[in-house]
Amino acid sequence: MKRTLMNSPRYLAVAAFVLLGLAILPVPAAQALTCSVTPDNIPITFTYHGAQLSITGQSASTDDLVVTITSEPVDTALKYKEKVGGLVWMKKGSLEFKDAPRVYLLHSTADLSRILDAAELNKNLLGFDALRGHIRIEDSAGNPADGKWFDEYLKFKKQENVYDMQEGTVVRTHGEAGNTYKVDVAWPYQAPPGIYTVDVLAVRDGKVVDRASTHLEVKSTGMVAALSKMAFDQAGLYGIMAVVIALLAGLAVGAIFKKGGGSH
Amino acid sequence: MYMYLPIALTSVNYLVVMGLGLGVGLLSGLFGVGGGFLMTPLLMMIGIPPTIAAATDANQIVAASASGTISHWRLGNVDFKMGLYLLIGGFAGGAAGVQVIKILRASGGADFLIKMTYVVMLGLVGSFMFVESLNAMHKSKKAPAAAAPTAAPKQKKGGFFAALPMQTYFEKSGVTHSALVPLFLGTFVGVLAAIMGVGGGFLMVPVMIYMLRMPMHVVVGTSLFQILFTCIEVTYLQAYSNHTVDFMLALLLLIGSVFGAQIGTVLGRKLHGDQLKILLSIIVLAVTVKIVLELVMEPSILLSYAGGH
Repeated sequence: MKRTLMNSPRYLAVAAFVLLGLAILPVPAAQALTCSVTPDNIPITFTYHGAQLSITGQSASTDDLVVTITSEPVDTALKYKEKVGGLVWMKKGSLEFKDAPRVYLLHSTADLSRILDAAELNKNLLGFDALRGHIRIEDSAGNPADGKWFDEYLKFKKQENVYDMQEGTVVRTHGEAGNTYKVDVAWPYQAPPGIYTVDVLAVRDGKVVDRASTHLEVKSTGMVAALSKMAFDQAGLYGIMAVVIALLAGLAVGAIFKKGGGSH
Repeated sequence: MYMYLPIALTSVNYLVVMGLGLGVGLLSGLFGVGGGFLMTPLLMMIGIPPTIAAATDANQIVAASASGTISHWRLGNVDFKMGLYLLIGGFAGGAAGVQVIKILRASGGADFLIKMTYVVMLGLVGSFMFVESLNAMHKSKKAPAAAAPTAAPKQKKGGFFAALPMQTYFEKSGVTHSALVPLFLGTFVGVLAAIMGVGGGFLMVPVMIYMLRMPMHVVVGTSLFQILFTCIEVTYLQAYSNHTVDFMLALLLLIGSVFGAQIGTVLGRKLHGDQLKILLSIIVLAVTVKIVLELVMEPSILLSYAGGH
């Protein structure tokens, strides 16, 4: 009797349904990685002085996380100083930093060196050491330059607040909403307008196992946008405007002071 | 407190910027210098890229020198005729200087030579002025009480300058020169200014005092008049061909500097010609020391954006 029941088509159908259901339903240990940034649009007005970003999402409970905000890589030319004649420091020439992002901000749940090996860091371009291997530095003749110039480049970018690494700042919480993470990022006002990529990488057993990304747009608006557009599109008119307003301001204040007394 | 600059693409504290304008404007009204030499590095210190700092400073000087010129003109301190000759020379010199620098740069290593020449020249001019005005002040102290005037020293009769053709009388300055003299000196300063990438006030003022023998107060007014036109040209060209003039930054600076220039003019009237000279010489010497230190000490960061001094 029992045997008959287990062999019946009805039983098979139920078993198949249960198995299918198991496959579809999310497994808690492998929660999908998500990523969102608030705000995802930063308008630049005259009062703009950077912004406070909050990057949040869901992740598997045991994974470590690395969050990066970067721009498209560009080639940047910078002047370099060297000692001339054993006495004075002068600008000697320019160096080209190829394939370097304008902005590179990194946050993580733990020290990068503890959660990932060097090969994996390099492959995913995580951390300043990975950037060192990635950014090519050439002099004006196209010859590769000394490695010390990467250290100077890093110093230069850090001073501008556009390159930064803060390990251990991503906070995870395990609650009713599932396993979530959050990191607050101070967006530097020195970062130029543009579209930036926010990436979140999940790390397990020394390997990157998952990745989610979103975009952040920083854009001039209103008068800021109008003035910078005019400076490039109507450069002649912009130049005349700049001169005329400066002249009028100078003459007007000169005239005010005359009325206020002070004749000889 | 903060304002975002559309061309410099950075945010600055506007009170700091207006304060900078006020300080440098005061120097303009007092000494007839544009002050770009001080302003450009100061702007770079608050995060403005060098090319934008230099171009925007020229825009600001238009306002400060217009403000200073009008108040000096009202005091009868502008020698338009002399200013015009110097200006024509300056324009020609500026154009020539740009060519000279191309040749020098191509030969390589010229930067070093240019900088050293400039430092030596500033140092010599500053020291000479300092000693000369110190002596003059000692003399006037010994002289009878009311003997205040320190107008131009009497022009020497004869000599090379007097032998030149096209002699003409400059009424406001009370001197007679060949028109070729201010033309030549204007060109000379123009060449140097173009090579150094500065306005040239620090050189033009001593040239007017010692070579053209103009009275100190007329020197200040005439120098401002000349700087006004040079900076109008520079502002327009920088805006037109390089897009490096940040109008908002210039506006913040000039709010400070137009008032600074007025205060400087008023202050200048209270000071003696020799007192003005000695103060200017101290500033010239301080600038010289600053450049020497910058050259000799290792910079904290060896990379920078292109442009600037």
